[in-house]
Amino acid sequence: MIEVAQLRKSFGDLTAVDGVSFTAARGEIFGLLGPNGAGKTTIISCISGLLTPSSGHVRVDGHDAVRDGPASRRVLGVVPQEISLYEDLSAVENLAYWGGAQGMRQPALGERMRKVLELTGLEDRTREPVKRFSGGMKRRLNFACGIIHQPKVLLLDEPTVGVDPQSRVRLLDLVRAQARDGACVLYTTHYMAEAESLCDRLAIVDHGRIIAAGTLVELRAMLAERDLLRLSGSFQAEAAKAALAHIDGIEVLQADAELLILALPEASRRLPAIFAALAAAGSEVRGTTLTQPSLESLFIKLTGKELRE
Amino acid sequence: MRFLWISLRKDWSRVRRDPFSLATSLAIPLILAVMMSLVFGRGQAAPQGRLLVADEDSSVASNLLLGVFNRDPLDKMLLVEKVAQADGRARINGGDGSALLIIPAGFQEAFLRNRPFQLLLFTNPSQRILPQIVQESLSIMVDGAFYVEHVAGDQLRAFDTRNAPADELIASVSVSINHLVTSLRRYLYPLAMDLETEVVAEPGESKSFAAMFLPSMIFMGLLMVANSLAFDIWKERLMGTLRRLAVSPAPLGAFLAGRLIFVATVFALVALVGLEASRAIAGVPVPNLPAAAMWLTFAGCALFLMMLVVALAASTARAASVMGNLIVFPLAMIGGCFFPFEWMPAWMARIGRLTPNGWAITQFQAILSGDIDARKLAVAVAGLTVVSAVMFIVALRRLRSGFLV
Repeated sequence: MIEVAQLRKSFGDLTAVDGVSFTAARGEIFGLLGPNGAGKTTIISCISGLLTPSSGHVRVDGHDAVRDGPASRRVLGVVPQEISLYEDLSAVENLAYWGGAQGMRQPALGERMRKVLELTGLEDRTREPVKRFSGGMKRRLNFACGIIHQPKVLLLDEPTVGVDPQSRVRLLDLVRAQARDGACVLYTTHYMAEAESLCDRLAIVDHGRIIAAGTLVELRAMLAERDLLRLSGSFQAEAAKAALAHIDGIEVLQADAELLILALPEASRRLPAIFAALAAAGSEVRGTTLTQPSLESLFIKLTGKELRE
Repeated sequence: MRFLWISLRKDWSRVRRDPFSLATSLAIPLILAVMMSLVFGRGQAAPQGRLLVADEDSSVASNLLLGVFNRDPLDKMLLVEKVAQADGRARINGGDGSALLIIPAGFQEAFLRNRPFQLLLFTNPSQRILPQIVQESLSIMVDGAFYVEHVAGDQLRAFDTRNAPADELIASVSVSINHLVTSLRRYLYPLAMDLETEVVAEPGESKSFAAMFLPSMIFMGLLMVANSLAFDIWKERLMGTLRRLAVSPAPLGAFLAGRLIFVATVFALVALVGLEASRAIAGVPVPNLPAAAMWLTFAGCALFLMMLVVALAASTARAASVMGNLIVFPLAMIGGCFFPFEWMPAWMARIGRLTPNGWAITQFQAILSGDIDARKLAVAVAGLTVVSAVMFIVALRRLRSGFLV
């Protein structure tokens, strides 16, 4: 349903997307995970036809997003990162407008409006101006406007930013429901937990490039089921590295004067040995954080930095 | 095509939900129009001042002199008020009145005896036109008095008495005047001089202030509303709705056309309400109402498209707002929206008529006065349509490329 091949997008000297390729199939939730500014929104904009790629190809349901834009947009549903609604208008008026923009007509539009209002839990506030809605309700309506025409391909650009936990759970359920109904969902986020719980396949994006891609299992395997240990304190980097080299299975991912990041199996059991080695090397440990294998630890392993930095 | 109507309906719904944003655009011209109407009412455009007169002679001659100011057309411009000299001086020194005329005691006798006399005129320096009118009028009357005294001095001197003249005197003077007229007959019947007059400017019926200001106020309203509606494209961009629309299959051209039709209906409404209100409240006659309303609608749409191109050219909403105001206010000032062209220096009025709104106001004035025929109006509308079409295309191209990114 979505085919992205060697996508590249530059703005002057800045290359926002650099040779990105992936595919996403019908009924699949494909996640783009990366920090703010990684290029996720630019990728979505190129797929939706808002931006013209500098090079590469994007096909949506078989239609070229650039050369056959209108046909491509007809099968697309987009839920933008910002709330894109007419706040003076009611939920019904917004849905009618965006349904009309997708070419829907009555009575099918009316029927579908009732359904999405029910799905998003807004059926009691249909005539009220959107400006009186809470942030979570606006997000749900924003989502409803994106799926009003039952799109074959759904692009979701960080749809849960700033949403309360209750609305977040509801929104994620809605996304799963879309995929169950056969839509191909492309979901961007910088929330690891969301990506882990929602996506069938994932691509981790940083600086406009995909640095890892696969299913959650495949990605975890890249860490070799190792824990991630972050030690803060005062270190002599080279001496600490040398001391830790004697402990089996330890990989030093990052070492500087104040932070050590280590990847190792069964870290909790081996903490005393690590502390002893570091103390012998003249280091002082003031804080310890142990992370089980996750997308975050993979991201840190791949980029040497945290996802939200 | 269907989306055009959907877009139009959406724009009207937004106005219905928040009418104040549009109403505030009309506030400035509306307030100005109401203030003008209150200050000047429905009266004629001629200014009216007050002539203070200290008549210390209280004679037939002094009354004849003052009678001139009570006749048309001076009576429409000047209200004559008799005062004591001291009171008159105090008032004119305080700026109350256009001029103070002091007719000294002995004026009539001096006139009849052909002796020098002095009329004292004090003018108010804060006024320019009315004191000058009084001065010119007095000067003409003094010249006239000189000739009357020369021609009929002897006959007039016969009446130089404070008492009622005797029958013999009246009979004698009558015969004398008859002889005088007989002697002048060859000059008077027919008149030896034939004075040809040429009206340089069509005086017509002078306009009331409200009528003079009507085109200005209406076009100021159009300009303000056009600027406000054009800026709405930035609100749509900031709301994200424009980006969302751009990734839907709905054509941006239909969106823009829907917006233009919405704008046209707003302007048609503003025009009809404005013109009807002017007629009903300020008593301004509005002949050719359909043509006038149609012209205002067309002109409003063209102004909207012009301001839309400006807004779309800006890189930020703030820049768009600043650029819009930088263009609207000077255009309004010089283009006849704040002051009628009739009040401007000729050079400025000439430039002002070349501005888009100035040109449109000139055509509108011609429609109101019936000075434009159907063919000329059609040409003007066609010209406006072509310019509007070009601006529509420019706006659409900008919307499609660059503005949303």
